[in-house]
Formats: sequence, C-alpha cells, structure tokens
Amino acid sequence: MSGGMQTEDWKAEWQPVVDAVGRDFSDGETVFGADPVERGAIRRYLEPLEFDCALHTDPAVARAAGFADVTMPYTGVLTWTIPPLWQPGEVLFDSDDRNAQPVRSPINNQDMPLGPKTTGFFGTDIDIDFIRPVVAGERIGRRGRRLVSCVPKETSVGRGAFLTWESDVVTETGEVVARIRIGTYAYVPKNKTEASDD
Amino acid sequence: MTNPLMHQRYFEDVTVGEELPSVAYPLTVYRMVMAAGATRDFNSIHHNTEYAQSTGAKEMYANTSFLLGTWERCVRDWIGPAGTIRSIRGFRMRAFNYVGDTVRVSATVTGTRVEDEVGVVELTIRSENSSGVSVGPGTVEVTLPRRGEEQE
Repeated sequence: MSGGMQTEDWKAEWQPVVDAVGRDFSDGETVFGADPVERGAIRRYLEPLEFDCALHTDPAVARAAGFADVTMPYTGVLTWTIPPLWQPGEVLFDSDDRNAQPVRSPINNQDMPLGPKTTGFFGTDIDIDFIRPVVAGERIGRRGRRLVSCVPKETSVGRGAFLTWESDVVTETGEVVARIRIGTYAYVPKNKTEASDD
Repeated sequence: MTNPLMHQRYFEDVTVGEELPSVAYPLTVYRMVMAAGATRDFNSIHHNTEYAQSTGAKEMYANTSFLLGTWERCVRDWIGPAGTIRSIRGFRMRAFNYVGDTVRVSATVTGTRVEDEVGVVELTIRSENSSGVSVGPGTVEVTLPRRGEEQE
C-alpha cells in the first residue's frame, strides 16, 4: 500500500516528461515504414478482419476508381509506418526464456529519453485525419513526434502516464497523406495479485 | 471474391438515425496471432497470455490497429467502394478486448451535410464486448457520391 509521500515520488519521476510537453522528439527525422505498401501485405492486413473491398484487392477495380493500383486500407497508416523490427547485423533475440522480449522494439516506450523506465505499454486513443488514400507502391512514414500531453496516473494495471503524440504521415516525396494524434499509456505493472480487471 | 453485398450507397439514400449493419469479430487466439502478423504489432500483450498477465491484464487482448480496422470494415461495408473516409475521432479504448470474447462494432448516422457539393455523412461508432462499450463511441466522417454526379 502506498503512502502519500510515495505517491508524490512516483509522479515526480514523470515531471521531466510533463515539462517537455510541446517538444518534437523526432529531431526532424521522418521514420519510414519497413516496406512500401504492397498488394500481398494489404491482403494479409484484410485477412483477420475478413475485410472484403475490391479497392484493396483488385487492381482493375482500383484503376477504374482512378488509382494507380490497389489502395491501402485507411487504417493501415499505423502498420505501414512501423520501421523494421530487425536490421542485418543486429541480434534481436538474446534469451530463450519463454516470454523474453526482443532486444528492441519500435512498439513500446523504449526510445523515450525522459522519465521513468517502463515495461508496460498500450495504445489508448487515436484521432486520424485522412488527406488521401495511399496506393500500393508508395512508402509512408511518420514525420514529427510532438508530445501533446503527459498525465501521470495510477490505473488498475500499474503506475505510469498517459502520453499523447502528434505526427504527420508522409510519402517519400514529403506529401502529407494523414495526420495522427495517438495516445498511449506507459507504465510499471503492478504485481499480478494487485491488478484488477477494471 | 468481392463481397456481393457491397453495393454503392449514395448520399441521397442516407437518413439521420439510420443504423449500419453491425459486424461481430470473435476474438480467438488464432485470429489474434493473424492480426499481430498482419499489423506488425508484435507486442506480446496481444498474443501471449502469460506475458499479458504479467503486465496487469486478465488475458491477451486485441491490438489497436486491428480494432481500428474493425471500425474501417464496418464503415466500408456500408459506404461502398466510391465512399471515402475523411477522419476517425474518439477512438478511445475503454476496456481491453480479451481473447475468448466477441467484439461487435455498431454505428449510426448522426449527421449529413453538403459541403462544397460533396455529400458528407457523420457516423457515431462504437465497439462492444461482454463488458459493455470497449472502444469509443467515436465519430467517423465519410463522403458518399451524389446521384447524378457520374453524368456531370
């Protein structure tokens, strides 16, 4: 059980992040997805959704609709901006523990240079404005990574902070095709026995 | 095979209060592993029960991209291929969507307007599982073709 002073201590660890609200953590770099948008990857994206739309699967239909090739589902802006999980020469798996995590992952809070170290991480909310559909053959990335808010909070799964980030989704020519505001919760998990379902 | 039920909806056909056909997605381990590979979100919370429980969750739970996709499919099934999606807002995860449950996406038309001669429709959309609303409610703004446009 936590006392008041301990509560202040853990929240204080987040103060450098709170103070950084408004900062662009990207240093001007655009982080591109591992691969261009491809027909096969689009098909695989559709499969677990049982998502049947010919714009995404039939080049002839897509061309008749005015596109050069099949289009990426709009919500693919997250998937197709994930950078490579592994690069030649890197070691990604260095443990045979059943639940060991890769040495690095683009989907967590590892690259956050400020604040406490966290191991729990999940998305909480998203707003997206779509400027135009992305077509197979294009490669997209996220330009900018501006911290919009940081709210330390204890939840049923642990202590951490709700972080909101803003980015533009751009093509290799720099054209903006979408704008994303994404919320995440980065946290230190409670002991399993302390966690609840709510 | 292209969905034979997908036909083109026109702006003039839409009425405020109209409900879109809901779509149910049973969340099995199989589907969630497929979703991890398809979305490249390999965070272990989405495909590994032991790991998810070590982070405070009850079970592995569906990932953000997959859940976003469930909204897009529900909307696309209704707007047809000539519709476009302008924005998604209020996609807020209120509860985990655990394996072994079913998440159902439902939406309602809450507004229509013509903007620069474009037919714009606002949808209010949500996901529900056995614990209630799990994502949203949010809004999706779409455009639909207007009858007679193709002759112009």
